[in-house]
Amino acid sequence: MRINWREISPKSARVAIAFLFVSQLTVASTGAYDLGTTVGDMRQPASQSGGTSCPRLTRFDIATPGAVNRQWSTSLGTSPATILTTDQTATGQLNEIEAAIQESLAAWTSVAGSSLKASSLGALQRTSTVAACSPSDGLNSICLNQADAGFAIGVLAFTRVVSADTVGEQISSTTAPSAFVGQILDADVLLRPGDVNTKFATPSALAANPNAYDLESILTHELGHSFGFNHSGVWQAMMFPFAPPPGQFTGTRPVVQSPDAPLSDDDRTGLRVLYPDPTDSLHVGTISGHVLPANPLALPVSPAGVTGVFPAQVVALDNATGTVAAAVVAGWSCSDPGPLQFDGGFSIEKLTVGTSQSYQIYAEPLDGPITLGNVIYDLTSLCRNAGTDPGWPAQYGCTVPATAAPFSARLRPGP
Amino acid sequence: MRMGMRMLTTILPLLSALLLLPPLQATTLARLSLDELAAASDAVARVRCAGTESRWERGSIWTVTTFDVMETLKGNLPAKIEVRLPGGRVGHLTATVDGTPRFVPGVEVILFLEKSRAGGFTVAGWVQGTFRISRDPRTHAEIVTQDSSAFAVFDTATGAFRAEGIRRMPVEEFRLRVIAAIVRSMEKSR
Repeated sequence: MRINWREISPKSARVAIAFLFVSQLTVASTGAYDLGTTVGDMRQPASQSGGTSCPRLTRFDIATPGAVNRQWSTSLGTSPATILTTDQTATGQLNEIEAAIQESLAAWTSVAGSSLKASSLGALQRTSTVAACSPSDGLNSICLNQADAGFAIGVLAFTRVVSADTVGEQISSTTAPSAFVGQILDADVLLRPGDVNTKFATPSALAANPNAYDLESILTHELGHSFGFNHSGVWQAMMFPFAPPPGQFTGTRPVVQSPDAPLSDDDRTGLRVLYPDPTDSLHVGTISGHVLPANPLALPVSPAGVTGVFPAQVVALDNATGTVAAAVVAGWSCSDPGPLQFDGGFSIEKLTVGTSQSYQIYAEPLDGPITLGNVIYDLTSLCRNAGTDPGWPAQYGCTVPATAAPFSARLRPGP
Repeated sequence: MRMGMRMLTTILPLLSALLLLPPLQATTLARLSLDELAAASDAVARVRCAGTESRWERGSIWTVTTFDVMETLKGNLPAKIEVRLPGGRVGHLTATVDGTPRFVPGVEVILFLEKSRAGGFTVAGWVQGTFRISRDPRTHAEIVTQDSSAFAVFDTATGAFRAEGIRRMPVEEFRLRVIAAIVRSMEKSR
């Protein structure tokens, strides 16, 4: 194993680091912030908080087959049409839309090395209810024609994911209580109503409607959120915030042999981290290390104890294919019971192993005025303290540092 | 001179990135130009976050942020406004909606505002209509960065990161651009 250090220039920085491969490490969790995380409520007994203030991944409980229920609302806009289909019959239209939904789901449930399978999901039900996307009913719904007050100009679709920060939390009286911290209890996908400027088309109808957005690309992206993904900074990823313009679609259309074709390796790796398959022996590699400032004086003085760059994007490039194997937004590590340390730590997990497998690591400090919490989500998904949560135990509290000034940085390998 | 070099090193990659990028649209957000944001917004203002609260309203968790209005560039605004965005944390439940901007007390931003059916305002284009103000650590000049440009994108072709949108632009320059965009949109609507 060998790693070279090279300085990152302050701007559009590139750190080319020679290949490094480290077999599975057992240290603490480190930053992988393109996946949703939740910090358990440490004011509760350990049986409810999970006994740690380290961030936990936000994901579904798939321990029981069919546990993740699903439904979609067949209420569609007709004037103008919300979803454009090839088949114009009422039944055929619904079947065509449902096929797009099923293909979007199959992209995620067909990833090798992940335990999220089609059998993890319940049967896709139809409902004629217009407002079927209630975030408090425990039903994971897709609503294609939603005049939800949450929409703003330019928002085509969004996914609302509700998760728990304790064990035993119920979102409704008819649903099971959460089994772990970070469990998703409700995830709804909402598409705005179509209008003269906004139309969606099924894959078969897209070519004839080049001004329409590809329904399947949008659904696949939004369903990624519903399974626990945040946005990715990887250009080719399904979870990249921006999809192709109208008339185009993301990635490759799925086929029977490869239903996960629309996804990128970055998406697949993320899914393996969210829903690992214990029998998988191929994607068991981890590359870890630290992104450090060339000059430690560049680090923020407050809060105390910041020893590495935070936040930073770290990318693992597969040398054989030239594609991004995975990327994380990182800069921290955490050992149970916490709290989290801002030591520049990163860990890219679930990478393919093999004798000819090698990777290059690139890192970019996010040195702008925008902090992670501004763009990805609530700061409390990484750190909680007495300021954010009155009564929070001091020994488990941490504060997200302000984003540092532009600086040079270097990488240090993991143990 | 140093400032000039800094501006160059910031603007050149941005311009080249903009030239190279296809006209992308977002799954969550349709890409909006400054002109489109200005035209679509009911108001544009420089504001300072006074406080934020998440709560259940009409069956959903919302985050309501109160802002003090510092300067209005478009529309008529009272001294204080409320901005409602979906998502937030209440009790032991967190509703996450990726793509919505979040604010902490004291932060100053230029917001493109749209009247919300939920009451008060929402932010047009969410992270696209949010421009965060800070001070350049070296020059101490006020600069502005669009929330949606926070992620540097990794390009495998060049092995480099690059950013989209408006980053580290001097506030005064941005302000002039916004005013020009507002004027253009008003002329178009005549």
